[in-house]
Amino acid sequence: MTTVPDPDAALMLLVKQGDTRAFEELVLKYQQPVMNLVYRTLPDATEAEDLAQHVFLQVFKSAHRYEVSAKFSTWLFTIARNLCLNEIRRRSRHPAASLDETFPDDDSQPIRQPEDVKTFSPPDVLMQGELEQKIEEALATLPEKQRTAILMCKGEDFSYDDIAEVLGCSVSATKSLIHRGRETLKQLLKPYLRSGEWKEK
Amino acid sequence: MNDSEYQMLLVESWRRGLTPGEKARLQTFLAEQPERAADWERETALKEALNRLPDAPVASNFAALVMRAVERENKRTEPQAGESFGWLARWLRRPASGLAWAAALALLAWSGYEQFYGRPHRERAMELSLIMKTVAPEAGVFQDFDAIQRLPAADDEELYAVLNVSH
Repeated sequence: MTTVPDPDAALMLLVKQGDTRAFEELVLKYQQPVMNLVYRTLPDATEAEDLAQHVFLQVFKSAHRYEVSAKFSTWLFTIARNLCLNEIRRRSRHPAASLDETFPDDDSQPIRQPEDVKTFSPPDVLMQGELEQKIEEALATLPEKQRTAILMCKGEDFSYDDIAEVLGCSVSATKSLIHRGRETLKQLLKPYLRSGEWKEK
Repeated sequence: MNDSEYQMLLVESWRRGLTPGEKARLQTFLAEQPERAADWERETALKEALNRLPDAPVASNFAALVMRAVERENKRTEPQAGESFGWLARWLRRPASGLAWAAALALLAWSGYEQFYGRPHRERAMELSLIMKTVAPEAGVFQDFDAIQRLPAADDEELYAVLNVSH
């Protein structure tokens, strides 16, 4: 009998058998991390949310292809990143097109509705402090791979191996991406990173 | 601690907090390396800054919208993958089924050809057997054929005369 040490992988096995409750559990657990990544790759709250919903829908549709050997979060973030990159590529070809045109015949796409009360109002939160805004701006200037690597590296959820797998490169290349990204950030944020200045005002 | 160990700790610190032991060794190293101390301070400040990044906004009905989309997706695929014909739907989606489809079409084409061009042959054979049954004499008719054929050839006129006389 195979043991499934990753609880998310265990949930995915249930999803594979058509258990939608297990899937909902995964959505609730990962909606924030996925949104964090998507939002900082496509910095438009509405479009990012639509895309994040598509990420989960894609996960559900591809559940039959999921192998327990893959860590669920790594698999999920790979899907999220790929969809983001597709969207960026599509936008560069059709700058005026909206996200709805990405899936024109997909009647299963989430319906955009007047949203419920949001946990945060994006611009308000981002504008709460100049420093947060500066770092958002600095992050936005980074190449996508460097930014994704830094964002994934921020928490303790992902090992360097996981990040490398999502980015599709070696662990040493991943560390190099993070190093270069951080160096750029340090340069861009130099005035704010002096000792004592990055404190609550 | 040497410089390469410092670099290793630096890389680890990007991803996780350092253990008390690691911190103590680092402090000793940084006390002797003022330029590294300044570098470490900037690294720490950047880490704090990144940790201050607020979470992206998520609508409170986010999961509900996803689940509704999943429900629609299930409904969309259910008729195809229904209880009794699910295996068929799955099989039809497989690439190998293309080959099977091609074979089935070829069989259908051959059967059509056979139906169209093979029919006259069959019909002709049946007609011929019917003619043979109705027109051709019985096998007994030919019983004395060889004996008659061996009779010496006579002039038709003489034979006719003999027949007339006998009657």
